[in-house]
Amino acid sequence: MSEEILSVNDLSVVFPTEDGMVEAVRGVSYSLSERDVLAIVGESGSGKSVAAMALMGLLPKYAQITGDVRYRGEDVLAMSPKRSRALRGQNIAMIFQDPMTAMNPVYTVGDQLAEAYRSHHRVERKVALARAVEMLDRVGIPQAKDRARSYPHEFSGGMRQRAMIAMAIINSPDIIIADEPTTALDVTVQAQILETLIEVKDSVNAAVILITHDLGVVAGMAHRVLVMYAGRGVERADVEDIYRRPRMPYTAGLLGSIPALDSAGGKLHPITGAPPSLINLPPGCPFSTRCPLVTDRCLTEEPELAATDLPHHQVACHNWEKVAETPDPTLLFRTKAVDA
Amino acid sequence: MTEPAASQHLLEVANLVKEFPVKGGGLFRRTIGAVQAVSDVSFHLDPGETLGLVGESGCGKSTTGRAVLQLHKPTSGSVRYDGQELTTLSAKQLRPIRRDLQIVFQDPYASLNPKMPVNDIVGEPMRVHGTKGSAVLDRVADLLKRVGLNPEHGNRYPHEFSGGQRQRVGIARALALDPKVIILDEPVSALDVSVQAGVVNLLEDLQEQMGLAYIFIAHDLSVVRHISDRVAVMYLGRIVESGTRAEVYEQPSHPYTQALLSSAPIADPDKERARERIVLEGDVPSPIDPPSGCRFRTRCWKAQEICATETPELVDRGTGHPVACHFAEVREVV
Repeated sequence: MSEEILSVNDLSVVFPTEDGMVEAVRGVSYSLSERDVLAIVGESGSGKSVAAMALMGLLPKYAQITGDVRYRGEDVLAMSPKRSRALRGQNIAMIFQDPMTAMNPVYTVGDQLAEAYRSHHRVERKVALARAVEMLDRVGIPQAKDRARSYPHEFSGGMRQRAMIAMAIINSPDIIIADEPTTALDVTVQAQILETLIEVKDSVNAAVILITHDLGVVAGMAHRVLVMYAGRGVERADVEDIYRRPRMPYTAGLLGSIPALDSAGGKLHPITGAPPSLINLPPGCPFSTRCPLVTDRCLTEEPELAATDLPHHQVACHNWEKVAETPDPTLLFRTKAVDA
Repeated sequence: MTEPAASQHLLEVANLVKEFPVKGGGLFRRTIGAVQAVSDVSFHLDPGETLGLVGESGCGKSTTGRAVLQLHKPTSGSVRYDGQELTTLSAKQLRPIRRDLQIVFQDPYASLNPKMPVNDIVGEPMRVHGTKGSAVLDRVADLLKRVGLNPEHGNRYPHEFSGGQRQRVGIARALALDPKVIILDEPVSALDVSVQAGVVNLLEDLQEQMGLAYIFIAHDLSVVRHISDRVAVMYLGRIVESGTRAEVYEQPSHPYTQALLSSAPIADPDKERARERIVLEGDVPSPIDPPSGCRFRTRCWKAQEICATETPELVDRGTGHPVACHFAEVREVV
């Protein structure tokens, strides 16, 4: 097995607001090995983006971040601002969902890439620009030399996302955090961008943390998957296990909610209800209000992410054994769906 | 074109064109050109069935939906509902017909008036069409129940509801006048998957109970396959392929349909990794200056000279359903 480069232990993020404390991330743990692709999957408000932004030091000052995050053994949350700046961009790079707002509209694309390079390398502007053009070329932007002189608004959505990827890899990072990198794009462009992301990731030997809500994208790209719900990691497993042998009712519910592209299919089996508010969460499992397997214990005691019958597969559910016994766990939600 | 004596279909759209003017940047904002958002689109809809309109952003699927409802006045072409031509009617003449033709919008955050309680939002169409007094409130309560909301929450405002619940409010409003046809413009795109499935099931149940016909506009190919009886694929303002759900998904014959279907990810790691993917080059060209002939030819791997000179008609080319491609050929991709 390859070397572990990032370990996140019990990461929590709390935002104090007028209405109370918003517990956006509650004790998330995972690790990332070299060249791995870890997908963090969840719906809106599950805390998947906030958890990643905490690593990158991108959260506002009033956010209360606790836990232990180590990049090659070094404590990320406790490091000096100077060291933290050096780490970000150089060792860990980020790709955002919306390249139009992530890029500066008044600088050319080439200048922005060159600046990203020069913040970490003491080189002449010209050298940095040449590097920028090389990166744009590598992500498949035609006539990279000319296009480097364009402004972000002159690029199409797909081209801008390519430029974002170029900027992320310009310093040859170990880790690329991609936060919903293709959500704003059409599917034919999404296919191009994902292909590019895989290619460049391999060319710079980076690991990827892919944050997404799209289980189709996860199926194609990820090695490991962490499913998040209400700020917590609720299932962690190899990608095949997540789809073939889910142990968390929520994961099974998500799978049953997606219509199949490759068959006409019958009725969908949605999860009833909505995720709980992250302010003043009730005791017990946050999924208990929507769960078909709920028992008394679920209402009082929140389950921890713990081992299951399968190797490398952890789940935060008191009743995972019942899920394991069910031949097709997505059908657990069938009776509930009829009532709704 | 010869006019059929009596329309056999509930809704018939023929050679629909919608152009938008392109204004110059100068003082007088003179019109300097036109974007043809919808070019020569024809289709029909029968009672109780769902037609899926798919395509990527800018392909004209939403504009088509709005032009059918006369929310955008079509530039040319015909829209016949129940045998009656809509494009020549005045706003006043259209009003009674609007009872039958309703729309649900994509964004449940923007399409509901934040200052109106849900009872008023759902009741407004009835008041506009002359229902008065307590009959409205009774019917609103009934509608809210029907879409899976608690009628007691009718005096709440939209911001007090989640995204999925708001979309249900939008659906209740569309149902208020007992329509025959509902145009669903990306009705579940803004929702999380677990919530989306509930709304899709609701739409299917309502269709069955009330005999509704849907035009389901979406970019999500899996949802469209799930809900549609027939499917039309659009690219740059034109329908490039149409047929039953099985024809389009199992025997796609237009290169664009094939590329589109092969790009859509399948939520199954084994299948997804084993698939052959057609990755298209480049981006969709600007609709201000679309390519001559076949509009897809600039990105097509089959393109030849004829594609630049001759616009392919949407006709059956031996693959069992209409395809607008000179070199149509079945290729299974999902």
